Amino acid sequence: MLRGAGLVGVFGLLSACQLVEFSPNQAYVPAQERGLNGQALARLQTAPNPDDTVRFVFVGDTQRFYDETEEFVASVNQQRSIDFVLIGGDISDFGLTREFRWVHQRLRLLDAPYLTVIGNHDLVGNGRAVYREVYGPLNYTFRYQGTHFICLDTNGREYGFNQQVPDVQWLQQQLADTAGTRQTIVVGHVPPTDEDFDPLVVPRYTAALRDCAGLVFHLGAHIHRFTVGQPYHDGVTYLTTYSLQKKRYHILTVWGQRKFRLETVTYGVEG
Amino acid sequence: MLYRLILAALVAAPLAASATALSLPGTPPDSVAVPGPPAATRPVSASNPLPWYRPSHVVLQTGGGLGMIAGGAGFSLKDRLDLDILIGYVPEKYAGSALSLVSAKLLYSPWTLPLRDKLTLKPLSVGGYFSYTHGTINDEEPDQYQPGYYWFSTDTRVGPLLGSRLSYALPATASGRSRSLSAYYEFGTNDLYIVSYVQNRRGLSPADILTLSLGLKLDI
Repeated sequence: MLRGAGLVGVFGLLSACQLVEFSPNQAYVPAQERGLNGQALARLQTAPNPDDTVRFVFVGDTQRFYDETEEFVASVNQQRSIDFVLIGGDISDFGLTREFRWVHQRLRLLDAPYLTVIGNHDLVGNGRAVYREVYGPLNYTFRYQGTHFICLDTNGREYGFNQQVPDVQWLQQQLADTAGTRQTIVVGHVPPTDEDFDPLVVPRYTAALRDCAGLVFHLGAHIHRFTVGQPYHDGVTYLTTYSLQKKRYHILTVWGQRKFRLETVTYGVEG
Repeated sequence: MLYRLILAALVAAPLAASATALSLPGTPPDSVAVPGPPAATRPVSASNPLPWYRPSHVVLQTGGGLGMIAGGAGFSLKDRLDLDILIGYVPEKYAGSALSLVSAKLLYSPWTLPLRDKLTLKPLSVGGYFSYTHGTINDEEPDQYQPGYYWFSTDTRVGPLLGSRLSYALPATASGRSRSLSAYYEFGTNDLYIVSYVQNRRGLSPADILTLSLGLKLDI
């Protein structure tokens, strides 16, 4: 019994030092690096802006661009009054714990708190467990200045198109929960127009968004470029952002009743 | 820091090897033709090597991306080349799902230095490994992706290894083979970490992509 406890102690010590890695697919990090979305939300709620305006940075796909991430952080830190930074998924490339930690080591230097939504690359191998450990639940919501943000896993292909992802029932529950909500923004990595979105879930998903009167827009990433439009001709605006490698990001400002402004920032491009 | 340690070990290894060669002046050079005793009168060789296909040792290790605990057996060629086959395990608590790993390690240790009494040191072991992981959460079903959707394999890893081994001589076997118990460490990395490093040489350092394994080897 005591020997067993000793053995656990030895392994605990070895695992705390990440050099002795049991598997690149392992899914545990030091306690202070767990539940980072929850930590960021706690920080965000302690210092809310006095007005009803929300101003946030949106970019996608940090995967394997560590050098570029440093430049991104330097640029964002020069922007005025950013409430938070939203990373649109594909934080990692291979779904490995070390990649998540390498990205966090850089993004934690942002002056504003940063939040993430899960991408398809984050679900490779044991990435699902790694994301849960590092950032927290795959589907989550938060309210800031009367704007309800619903962040969810839309990476249907990673689940073999099992018709469970995205979880439309959960989405409908969140959309129906309008207490203290002036308007709503839905964020998912893969947009429903993409072939990596579960085709059998598209009708239910887009219908749920259509039925939400206070929806400002749907945010996505994955395709590594900026697109904006109403592909289903139903009054719902779908927007996708750049990958971090493009050295561009968006600043979105939302206020009033479904009013928004989109700015594009280009940085570190030579010539 | 660790990177420097490895460099130091690399530099020190050939020096140590040449030092021991110099300290044995009585050894006759190879070119002197001294007729040996007839084969029949030659004593039974103390080393009496095993045929190459018989496992010569068992191994137990942790880390190196090959399991929280990994055990197996290995083959040895001329006490310099070791091929170890390991089965590793990572409990669900540490990986989100229980992982079973099968791996093969090939290590070449050019020098063996006698230290004192029964201790010997192989200052440098260099080689590589291959590993296959079973039991990942997203296990790439046949129809899940079109070919080339992800360019890398999620379950097969390869990587280089570099380490040292300290051995303690045990009483010889009944058949006269010498045996020892060894402790070793190996620094390593894997293909995906190397790709990450090569593309981010400003942001990542070699220490960021290092892994360490610690293990024991027992001759049988």
